[in-house]
Amino acid sequence: MFEIKPIFNALCRSKVGAVLLLIQIAITTAIVSNAAFIIQDRIGYLSQQTGYPEEDIFVFHVMMFGQDVSLSQQYELDEAMLRQIPGVVDAAYSSNTPLSGSGSSSDFSLKPAPEEGKSARTSYMFIDEHGLNTYGVKLIAGRNYTEDEVIVTDNYDELSKVTVVTKTLLDELFPDGNGLGQTIYFGDIPMKIIGVIDLMKGPWLKDSRPDNVALLPFIKAGSNARFVVRTEPGQRQSVMNRVEEAMLKNYNKRVISRIRGLDEDKEQYMAEDTLMMRMLIVLITILVLVTALGIFGLTLFNISKRTKQIGTRRALGARKSAIISYFLVENAMICSVGLVIGIIAAVYLGQLLMQHFSIAQLEISYVLGTALCVFVMSLLAVLAPAKRAANISPSIATRTI
Amino acid sequence: MLKMNNINKVYQTEMVQTHALRDFNLQVDEGEFIAVTGPSGSGKTTFLNIAGMLEPFNEGQYLLDGIDVGKLNDNQRADLRNQKIGFIFQGFNLIPDLNLYENIEVPLRYRGIKAAERKRRIEQCLEQVGLASRAKHLPQQLSGGQQQRVAIARALAGEPRFLLADEPTGNLDSLMARQVMELLEQINRDGATIVMVTHDPELARRAPRNIQVVDGQLADLTLYQGTQNLKAAGV
Repeated sequence: MFEIKPIFNALCRSKVGAVLLLIQIAITTAIVSNAAFIIQDRIGYLSQQTGYPEEDIFVFHVMMFGQDVSLSQQYELDEAMLRQIPGVVDAAYSSNTPLSGSGSSSDFSLKPAPEEGKSARTSYMFIDEHGLNTYGVKLIAGRNYTEDEVIVTDNYDELSKVTVVTKTLLDELFPDGNGLGQTIYFGDIPMKIIGVIDLMKGPWLKDSRPDNVALLPFIKAGSNARFVVRTEPGQRQSVMNRVEEAMLKNYNKRVISRIRGLDEDKEQYMAEDTLMMRMLIVLITILVLVTALGIFGLTLFNISKRTKQIGTRRALGARKSAIISYFLVENAMICSVGLVIGIIAAVYLGQLLMQHFSIAQLEISYVLGTALCVFVMSLLAVLAPAKRAANISPSIATRTI
Repeated sequence: MLKMNNINKVYQTEMVQTHALRDFNLQVDEGEFIAVTGPSGSGKTTFLNIAGMLEPFNEGQYLLDGIDVGKLNDNQRADLRNQKIGFIFQGFNLIPDLNLYENIEVPLRYRGIKAAERKRRIEQCLEQVGLASRAKHLPQQLSGGQQQRVAIARALAGEPRFLLADEPTGNLDSLMARQVMELLEQINRDGATIVMVTHDPELARRAPRNIQVVDGQLADLTLYQGTQNLKAAGV
């Protein structure tokens, strides 16, 4: 019924158009499946859980030029004032902003330097006892610091004796699950793990260890400082609008700047990835459209070239449905060969991308899914011209063209 | 076998209305071999198209083997064409990408005939037209006369009772035309009814029955010839 053999033989005898089309289908499949995989990977990356209620948190910078106050005392006054603003849940000093692409990291080890011991790459932040609550992260074991454990100083002579770390870091350093209460070393400085938090991303989401974070109770009261504030849901903007005035009212010989939401910082950090993802979406859309138009155009060309042949087939007894199925089967055969080549090319391209651009290994489901979509798209592209062919009058067979 | 009663066919464009067939009446009996002649634009091809159900008519009744063709839908007409009619076209209308075997196979596939039976019929028809050894050749590898013989084989393979030939020798030289005509006569002797449209008076004379289409109507051949003679005499 589907005339597979004669269609195949006919294609073998006049193969230029078919070969061009199958190459286009193969290229489309190879590129689209890899691009779709990368897009999905980027979507997962862009929408990953960070552990923070990002939309309720904002950060701002303070640059003090007045020298008539004690900085550490002033910062404590500022924190207390911030916590009193209506809509604020908590506020804290923070040495850097998570998710922003800017921060500090070091290897935290089981042995003091210079001894060799098991270590893990870790990003760390200096915060005070309000830090955990302000960032809204979840403590799953142990405890937070007490006020007494927070070291407030203007040099690095003394560092914290305790730390709160993420579960991921704890599991990496202590796979047996007995890390709480153990001592780890920041260089040669020992720190006891007193608390474990569930999920808290560090400053670099693209880092090889984005989830390894250690929080150290330490405030270095310099002329530059950074505060983080968490508000009630929906209150952030109004608090952000008032924070500069409130801070200057507290002490006015300073500049308040870069008042930004945590999600805004993250968005800026991820801007390149977002752009790349959008460009890939545009690319695959154009590619699929061009392929669909190619199939559409080639079928129209074939129909105009074979008008008399179609009329003759109709005269010899072909129903309209037989003409439609002829073009669908012909296209499906070309498409199938193109897809087989495309699938092989996609896997090969995926391996090249993995080797050269540190992209995860292409999942075969993306290749097969893309192949299926291209197949359906090609059938849809051929359907309208095929219907047009079916409407060619059989009387064309007796006309001398 | 074929009966047309008051068939009218009008081609309508925005500017012009052309009456291609006007109250056309014709009866063709089983086993006849009829040559249809007439000047260009007289309606011969329109008659052939309607007889072969290749295009619809506006008025009248057309019975093919007792079936009222005007009442059939597109699929039914396609099936009836496939089962009862064999076409032979002036330009042969072979499909260039298919070899001879596959060309002859086309109408048999549309009828849903099984592969073994198709093979038997194709080989038999190719034998009948003297091209059994060329089954794997493409049409363009053959001469015009050979191509027309393939087209005849394609028409015969469906074992039709009714053959419609549109200028079957129009594109052939006289020797090949004679061969094709002899083949058609043989097919007619074997029992098929043939209606052949032709310009060639010599060819038409070989058919047992001649009809002439003039201005979309079946002309009385004797009266028409008389008028031509009077014109020639300057009356």
